[in-house]
Amino acid sequence: MRRHLRLPLTIAALATASLGLAACGGDDSGSSSSSSSSSSGGGGGAALAPGAYDPAQKPAAGKKGGIGTMLSASDVDYMDPGQSYYQFGFLVAETTQRRLYYFEPNDATKVIPDLADGQPQVSSDGMTVTVKLKPNVKFSPPVDRAFEAKDVKYAIERLFTKNSPGGYTNYFDFIEGAPSELQAKKKDISGITTPDKNTIVFKLTKPYSAQFIQSFVLPYTAPVPEEYASKFDAKNPSTYQDNLVGTGPYMVKNNAAGKVDGIGWKKTKSITLVRNPNWDQSTDFRPAYADGWNIKTDVTDANVAARQVLDGSHMLLDTNPPANILEQLATKIKDQYTQTPSGGFRYFAMNTNIKPFDDVNVRRAVVAGFNRDAARKARGGKFVGPIPTHYLTEGFPGYEEAGGEKGFGVDFMNYPKGNAELSASYFKKAGYKSGKYEGKQQLLMIGANADPGKAAAQVAADEYKKMGFNVRLRLVPQDAVYNEWCGQQTKKVAICGTAGWFKDFNDASTLLQVPFYGGAIPTEKGQVSYNLSYLKDPAVDAAVEKALPTTGAERLKAWAAVDKAIVEAAPAVPFVADKTTDVRSKDVQGVPSSFNSLWDLNFTSLK
Amino acid sequence: MARYIIRRLLWTVVTLVVITAVAYFLFRVLPSGDPVRARAGKAPTQERLDAIRESLGLDNPWYQQLGDFLWNAAHFDFGRSYISDAELRPLLLDALGATTWLVVGAVIVWLSAAAVVGTISALRRGSLPDRVAMGGALVAISAPVYWLGLVALYLFASDIGQFKVFPGAGSYASADGVLDRAWAMVLPWFVLAAAFSAVYARLLRSSLLESMQEDYIRTARAKGLSERRVIFRHASRSAITPLVTALGVDVGLLIGGNAILTESVFNIPGLGRLSYDAIQRGDVATIQATVLFLAFFVCISALVVDLLYALIDPRVKYE
Amino acid sequence: MTDPQDHTPAPERATATGTSPAGGDAGRRAGAPLLEVRDLRVGFGSEDGLVQAVGGISYTVEAGRTLGIVGESGSGKSVSSMTLMGLTRSPSTKIEGEVLFEGRDLLTMSTDELRKVRGNEIAMIFQDPLSSLHPFYRIGDQIIEGVRAHNDVTKKQAKARAVEMLGLVGIPDPGRRVDAYPHEFSGGMRQRVMIAMALANDPKLLIADEPTTALDVTVQKQILELMDRLQRELGTAIVMITHDLGVVAETADDIAVMYAGRIVERASVHDLFSHPRHPYTWGLLRSIPRLDLPRDVELVPVDGRPPSLIGLPDDCSFRERCPYAAGCCRPGMPDLLGADGAPDHQVRCTMPPERRATIWQVLADGGTPQEAATKAGIPQPEEVA
Repeated sequence: MRRHLRLPLTIAALATASLGLAACGGDDSGSSSSSSSSSSGGGGGAALAPGAYDPAQKPAAGKKGGIGTMLSASDVDYMDPGQSYYQFGFLVAETTQRRLYYFEPNDATKVIPDLADGQPQVSSDGMTVTVKLKPNVKFSPPVDRAFEAKDVKYAIERLFTKNSPGGYTNYFDFIEGAPSELQAKKKDISGITTPDKNTIVFKLTKPYSAQFIQSFVLPYTAPVPEEYASKFDAKNPSTYQDNLVGTGPYMVKNNAAGKVDGIGWKKTKSITLVRNPNWDQSTDFRPAYADGWNIKTDVTDANVAARQVLDGSHMLLDTNPPANILEQLATKIKDQYTQTPSGGFRYFAMNTNIKPFDDVNVRRAVVAGFNRDAARKARGGKFVGPIPTHYLTEGFPGYEEAGGEKGFGVDFMNYPKGNAELSASYFKKAGYKSGKYEGKQQLLMIGANADPGKAAAQVAADEYKKMGFNVRLRLVPQDAVYNEWCGQQTKKVAICGTAGWFKDFNDASTLLQVPFYGGAIPTEKGQVSYNLSYLKDPAVDAAVEKALPTTGAERLKAWAAVDKAIVEAAPAVPFVADKTTDVRSKDVQGVPSSFNSLWDLNFTSLK
Repeated sequence: MARYIIRRLLWTVVTLVVITAVAYFLFRVLPSGDPVRARAGKAPTQERLDAIRESLGLDNPWYQQLGDFLWNAAHFDFGRSYISDAELRPLLLDALGATTWLVVGAVIVWLSAAAVVGTISALRRGSLPDRVAMGGALVAISAPVYWLGLVALYLFASDIGQFKVFPGAGSYASADGVLDRAWAMVLPWFVLAAAFSAVYARLLRSSLLESMQEDYIRTARAKGLSERRVIFRHASRSAITPLVTALGVDVGLLIGGNAILTESVFNIPGLGRLSYDAIQRGDVATIQATVLFLAFFVCISALVVDLLYALIDPRVKYE
Repeated sequence: MTDPQDHTPAPERATATGTSPAGGDAGRRAGAPLLEVRDLRVGFGSEDGLVQAVGGISYTVEAGRTLGIVGESGSGKSVSSMTLMGLTRSPSTKIEGEVLFEGRDLLTMSTDELRKVRGNEIAMIFQDPLSSLHPFYRIGDQIIEGVRAHNDVTKKQAKARAVEMLGLVGIPDPGRRVDAYPHEFSGGMRQRVMIAMALANDPKLLIADEPTTALDVTVQKQILELMDRLQRELGTAIVMITHDLGVVAETADDIAVMYAGRIVERASVHDLFSHPRHPYTWGLLRSIPRLDLPRDVELVPVDGRPPSLIGLPDDCSFRERCPYAAGCCRPGMPDLLGADGAPDHQVRCTMPPERRATIWQVLADGGTPQEAATKAGIPQPEEVA
């Protein structure tokens, strides 16, 4: 459930970009990112110009009214929109916090203005971004006034304090005057100016505007009223989230003073979302059909919860159901779930710094001979998602350009159950005449010590052993897999047995750059590398550098080229491209968020 | 006796301190989830980590952290959860309420069931009812609580059951008032009590059979007492001693968090659930508090058992 | 301990009938014994077969008199008396014969009827007073309970009776001790409590099952004296069960020696001790200390073990252990028959009377069984081999 990574902006790049990255421009497939299965969604029709918003693109209209229930195994990480970093936190923030821009509910390749009025203006040097704001969008009670540019400025500034540190400030810490260290008290950021109430201007120290404006879809751009929030932000940690206000169609139920803690937000128990009385439908593209949502955050048993949702009325499940239910869904109960690509993949990374994985033919031999289906079974089998033939996942911008389901036709990626002959041929190319690896040295493999990661790692270890590798599998806590082992060069981990990578938002850079770009390997000692293969492939690096500044349709092709370069470098064995399976009661018209892959409560309606 | 109790309570305090310290080292020193990282999101900056570490007081030396924890715990203040930042005292008290409610009800159910079944089985040893009951007991003991819970829900829960009779999972949390809560607990009580009923029925049966062999039972019969009096006054009084021992341990453990499976299936926000979640998330603050609770209840129930012994058996004297 | 030869039963005891205070009863046939056991057989079902614990015994007890039943453990002496009380009743127990108590057959009584007899008309005390008293209840309460089970009295009255009985059996300060727990008494005192409890309802018959075995020698003597005294004062008939001939020598009027579920010899105390006739009885007698023999004479229990009680053959049960059996006995189970010239002295042995006399002569003078057998011309096992 852990949510992806930041995007380390280690490279300079990026020319001016129009918003939205043109995902579907000229896309002839019409394949929306949502749902290979039945239900909801629909839409999927004509391709639209990037950034445009067309009501016809909306999911089928739902019925207004009613209170829905969502069952969740855990609470939000933070209610604070600037601090929340997990999918479930995002799910709630989607309902309470409008931000500058947002995605189409069923097509995350399309970005549309939310609080912004029209597209952002980027200066020709790419160093200044101006956003016009909608007037008359009011904060929820007890603030009750229309939000202004200064509220967005404050929302960003407060994330550089110790009391309310932002979850992903690296997306915007290159704004001019942004503190390089967390501050004890909020500091004015000179690079954010508000010429008038409805205009906000960002001056950047680096020309990162293309990615910067894409990050506007994240909830950190949700306005925070300083005169109300400052007294809460003065506490350490900030208690703003206990007294949250927002501009979304819903708000966490609060008392007259604005307190939500213990009222609408019973921590680890429940979240009550009620209609924000100050929300004006005419300013928002969100239909927000239901009158409110009760989210239970104390559900203990996933099996029972899934059954309750399936048999119940007006209910939703927060995330994937357990494997056995998943199977029933696919085979028996066909109309109560929606599968959305999660925008990521799981893989076994081979450390290219360690012999014999420094030899690309050994790596290719491994990929060719690997029974990836067995590894996927350990994580739940085919219902979890397809076995990828390349790294861009279904529904992601660039996926079609990268060959869609078939991929690039690279032979060693074509055998989900492994092909021993092909594998042998690559081993021979690498100089192992037996068609298997012949070295005797012990290779350290690290895996998580809890299922399903553990099970998959064990399967993988066996696969390596079958190919002649002397593998020692060491199981460590999930947290430590990256931070203390695979991500630490000095630990000399040969195979990372529990690795997964997920987008931050729908740009191929967030999916491919960090895990495979040579420039993403940190140089400082002790810093965690998320390029777990330590891949420094000239072809890959050149392709990435070429792709970063591109825009529009060219960008999709450029990232597809990156994808191809990575596939050929064979740095890892990707064994499943996860889909999120969202489950609902019969009388719910469910719409998943293509961006967050969980249900989107703003678009989901009750029958 | 009073001196004995005071001494035992002092020992309990010592035990609690030691256990807390051990728990502290287990979860802090041995590799487990770093609470700071758990709060910081993936791939956080060092600054963010430091800021969170400081705000949690985790930058203090270990003895100060442990000392602070103990000092505060002595004032019944357990601090805040590292993960949700929620204040732990109300959380623990709520959880304790739910668990106590669950355990006490289940104890009543299983003791009643065991008393009836165990006595009949012992008195009609080898008969059909005895064999059926003991066979059933074996099944009940071998049935995993989790599975039994699911079966109970799929059969009787008002939301997902075949026969919509009893409130299902999660109904306790939304129940108001004593009656509602009791009604919501019916299924959990029976599910939690099932295995215990079986264990206690078998225990009572063997214990009764054993005490029926005692010489004083022969004496009682030779006195011409009615068989009922022989069983219920003479045999059962000594037969319950092992049950009291078992009950003390079981209740202590259950209240301290071992009802986790039942709590989990029926979604009861109890102590087991709380500690399980805490362990999963590396929430050391919550773990410490729940460990302390568990230890406390085990110690107290051990004390209560010892005092009960003195009540049952006049030979037992505490100085 | 005592010299059996010198033992003379008190004449009033030997003749007393119907003098028990509780004894003026209508249902009793004039002149009939208080207790008459006829061919009692008790078998327990087991996995290996029927365990014939009691293989057909008969005896009578006159009111106010004492019958001693002597035998090793497993001889059926305890089982037979427990059966009188209905304490061996169970689905797997096979009980045959008749046990007439004042003319009523205890064996055919319903459990409820029998319960009215138990502890009321027939009382019982047991070997280990510690385990026979309930450790969790005050002794007073345990006595009161017995009194109130048979008498419609208040708790207070019952307690007064308990105090009275405790005083009678020699518990000092009974008014206070009545509230004490069993573990607060010494072994001898506990047995006094048991006796008080047993006699609280003025039973006509007291069955004492090894009442002194668990006690040390001096206390044994006190208890036996107490029982003797109480019997005289209360006129209670006693069945005294023991493995120790010394105990019955002091207290019994008549003695029945049991072996492997059967009575092998029955006689008055005097006859038995002066002219024991069964080889087993000889063995028992040799195992008690005697004052008329040199001190250095070794005390020998009877060699060997009693036979298994499952599927007993139709043969003398003692043959295996009998040092005098070789070349002398007829096969088959001997009957219990009156001895020549002493019809009240019954013995279950087919040894010719002359040989019996020869052997006893040697044994009575302190000779060993080997010497006796040799003298009687019986081939010894060694010689046979």
